[in-house]
Amino acid sequence: MTFLIRKPPISRRTVLRGAVGGAAVALALPPLEAMFAEEARAADPSSDPIFGLFYWANGVPWHAGHGADQGANSPGGDVWTPPTLGADFTPSPLLTPLAAHKVSVATGLEPKTEVPQPDNGQSDGHMRGFMVAMTGDRIRPEGFDHPSHTLTCLRPTLDQYIAGHEQFYGNTPSRFRSLCLGVSEARFHDYGHWNAISFTGPDSPVGAIHSPAQLYSMLFDVPADLMALTRRVTLIDAVMADAEGLRGRLGGTDKQRLEAHLDHLREVQRRLDLSSGTCDIIPAAPGDSADVVARTDIMAGLLAAALNCGLTRVFSFMLSSPATTHVFNNLGVPNGMHQVCHDGQWEHVRSITEYQMLAFARLLDHLAAAVDPMGVSVLDRACVYGASEYGEGYKHSTAEMPVVLAGGAGGKLVRGYHYREQGGNLCKVHVTILRALGIDTPSYGFNGGETTEHLTGILA
Amino acid sequence: MVRFPRLGIAGALLVLASACYDDNSARDSDQPASSSGESAGTDATVGSGDPTDTGGSDSDSGDSPEAFEPAEPVLPRLTASQYRNAIAHLLGPGLPGLPLEPDTNPYLFYNIGATSTFISELGVQQYEEAADALARAVFTDQARREALVGCVPLSPGDGCVQNFLASFGRRAYRRPLTGAEQARWTDVATQLAEGDAWRGLQFAVAGVLQSPHFLYRVELGEPDPNDPTRLRFTGWEMATRLSFLLWNGPPDDVLLDAAGSGDLHTEAGLVAEAERLLEDPRARVALQEFFAQYLDLARLDHVARDPARWPMFSPTMTASMRTEVQLLVDDLIHRSDSDIRQLFSTRHTFVNAELAALYDIEAEGASPITFVPVDLPVDGPRAGILTLGAFLTMNAHETITSPTNRGKYVRERVLCQVIPPPPGDVDTDLGDDEDMDAQTVREKLEQHQKDPVCAGCHSIIDPPGFLFEHFDSVGGYRTLDNGYPVDASGNLDGIPLDGARDLAEALKTDPRVGRCIVNQLYRHATGRLPALSEFPALDALEQRFIKADHRFKQLLLDLVVSEAFRTVSEETDA
Repeated sequence: MTFLIRKPPISRRTVLRGAVGGAAVALALPPLEAMFAEEARAADPSSDPIFGLFYWANGVPWHAGHGADQGANSPGGDVWTPPTLGADFTPSPLLTPLAAHKVSVATGLEPKTEVPQPDNGQSDGHMRGFMVAMTGDRIRPEGFDHPSHTLTCLRPTLDQYIAGHEQFYGNTPSRFRSLCLGVSEARFHDYGHWNAISFTGPDSPVGAIHSPAQLYSMLFDVPADLMALTRRVTLIDAVMADAEGLRGRLGGTDKQRLEAHLDHLREVQRRLDLSSGTCDIIPAAPGDSADVVARTDIMAGLLAAALNCGLTRVFSFMLSSPATTHVFNNLGVPNGMHQVCHDGQWEHVRSITEYQMLAFARLLDHLAAAVDPMGVSVLDRACVYGASEYGEGYKHSTAEMPVVLAGGAGGKLVRGYHYREQGGNLCKVHVTILRALGIDTPSYGFNGGETTEHLTGILA
Repeated sequence: MVRFPRLGIAGALLVLASACYDDNSARDSDQPASSSGESAGTDATVGSGDPTDTGGSDSDSGDSPEAFEPAEPVLPRLTASQYRNAIAHLLGPGLPGLPLEPDTNPYLFYNIGATSTFISELGVQQYEEAADALARAVFTDQARREALVGCVPLSPGDGCVQNFLASFGRRAYRRPLTGAEQARWTDVATQLAEGDAWRGLQFAVAGVLQSPHFLYRVELGEPDPNDPTRLRFTGWEMATRLSFLLWNGPPDDVLLDAAGSGDLHTEAGLVAEAERLLEDPRARVALQEFFAQYLDLARLDHVARDPARWPMFSPTMTASMRTEVQLLVDDLIHRSDSDIRQLFSTRHTFVNAELAALYDIEAEGASPITFVPVDLPVDGPRAGILTLGAFLTMNAHETITSPTNRGKYVRERVLCQVIPPPPGDVDTDLGDDEDMDAQTVREKLEQHQKDPVCAGCHSIIDPPGFLFEHFDSVGGYRTLDNGYPVDASGNLDGIPLDGARDLAEALKTDPRVGRCIVNQLYRHATGRLPALSEFPALDALEQRFIKADHRFKQLLLDLVVSEAFRTVSEETDA
């Protein structure tokens, strides 16, 4: 992946205007820090950090740490928690695939959000664990809204929070503020919000891109007719003007929904404006595969290229969606994973989880192999948060939530460290990540999940 | 914040929430399952156990206000299918299908997702890309663009361009363009033309297709000359409401003309246009969409059965099952125009060869692809869609039945009751519990009901679900479950019944069935749950439905002239 060279995003509209006006294009270039990112990083390795979220479904194989029932039906015991603590820990069986990348892990943590009565599903692992892992908050007070079955957060998920935070991108966001990718297309049911893990706010799911071809086209296809692109950018000004009269006539949620739409449209316009700023050297057009590891390999290759040349600095990667029904028949598992968990088939869940970790390892392989001219890899610059929705899926326990922190965040994260705190607050993970990315975070967590502490030993 | 407090008003739903945790009320009362929408708070409410909430009222609208007041407006974004219908209407058929953000269907209906979900950035990007690609496809094709525009522009912004933009704009925005809008798009057509008037039009069209006035249904009303306390929808808005309800797409020029001449402010004008729309093939498709959502048929697409275990379950079986329901719905609405509630009790149905085999009936002329009308045997086990393949299969597990899922469907879909989800810490696994000596699914469920935490709800859900125990996981008739004789006795709210035919009979006279259809249609038509202040209108609608012998087309006509469909309140915090 060393062929990838970062190219600064240049407004094509600016370039074309410059060209038309006969002025030197170089005068219209964006700020120095964007142009000379590598040099800037040489001075401060933690500048331009990358955040990624790797999500897999249905936790880890259950063990006694999740509860007595789970312990009684756990033929292999705890195959997740590393047997040793601190630096250079000995990896557990399931963490072995990730060991080459010296990931750090936190174990024993759990969500601390209050469970109101009636709990409206607030205590359910899928919902409670998922929301706290992703947002640090509980699901909306109405709970797991039934029968609408919409799973709705109260605030942005961590990836979207970071992508929208002024201390992360400042005034020079990448062409894509974030990329939300997915691998398995299995979904628990069709009620809508379950097939997304990223949200920008309540009722605002960000659907994942599952198709390598679609991703490739978004990232690397530069239209041949750049003038047409410029017209599309101008046209959006007219669309904005057309919407103007409507804004004042709406109220409440309608107004917010329209505002969100128009904010997105501005983002789309900005991206179109930068759309010639793709990587200098473009990867080959991708194939596809229905196998989750093979598709991860393909998607991660494109993602790593995009991260390395600055097309984005935030991603979410949904290997499988919450409560996934994905059938891992390649592993000899006859039923969907959610069912297999509830049926108590520990060995199957172990092999599936191991397979999901192999996919995680493939993602990290790509991030480690994408290196800038100064020799800094994407993984060196990144903090990749590996998370699932609860501790385990047999009984939905939210004890012992799995947490992986991969990458060095430009030196802000200690690699290869095992932090353990039984019953500790899961939001310490969020505090750690946000501080590692240079975002001032006196406290994080909501509705009982608040904490001011980070994971000592992992935050450098 | 989000509008869910409004969505959360249970409307004319019967809320079971409280009753679930009340051992007695559910079985012993004549109106066991009812509690008013207001007192139950939200659909999402898990039984609070407040005894004052339960079973007291004898009508679901007991707490509703006496006089109707319209609800606040909503802002539906076109669903993907509505967008595609609109594109076909605006630009003609045969254009490439482009990816759009998937819709959500809270409370079963895509129209509710359309009023509550926020679009994602990718969704907006897809609109931009679709608009660009569609406009390019049309305007780089000489025959196509001339057919669309109807004249040849000689210079950017000339009379041809302006006339086209006025008529195209009226179709796209479903109302005439304002002067400022006309000027804006003419400007775009001029400035982005770069000397090529066609290219200018291409960009103007691409812009219109990205405008919120096209992508959203803006229906905010105007002062009602007959009633200063409220607003009525404008004629243009009524045209849009009619066509999206009856065609799942935009109004045609005739309907817009009717709007422009004021016809849609009169009951006669509305009925005339509604009847015209109902005669159009688009209405058949749109009504099928409604019933597919109301009956939750999309779940059939995800049904899988192991062919080794179920040899009869061919790869085409779920499609056959779905077609059967569609034909039955179509027959009741259009061909016979009769009591739509017969959906749950009629012995009439339509089968192809594999369904005939599944039901073990004669069906002359049936083939794998030919469906023929049949009457199910008088003395047979089947009558109504609750005894047909679609319902029985999608509410069963792969190898065993699910009286719980089937009972829940009866409660939620057919009777419009609300069942709260199981408490989070409860094990709902019905697998092989070694401590159990239960043999049949029924016995296993009855064991679980011994737990008082479960029994509250399951004593309401399961008894009607047991009535279907003679039908296996693919809808075949059986007399044995796991080698033991099937017991298909059960009850509906304390009335003992034996088998699904008994239930079909009971549903024939159950007033909740018709009321539920009214409610489901209202949710679909408005894209939201009804507000409490709308209950009187819903009650009136229900009365008209009864008077019309529950004919569905008449219900649609009654709905479109109902004040609830024609009026709106001010947007409060605009």
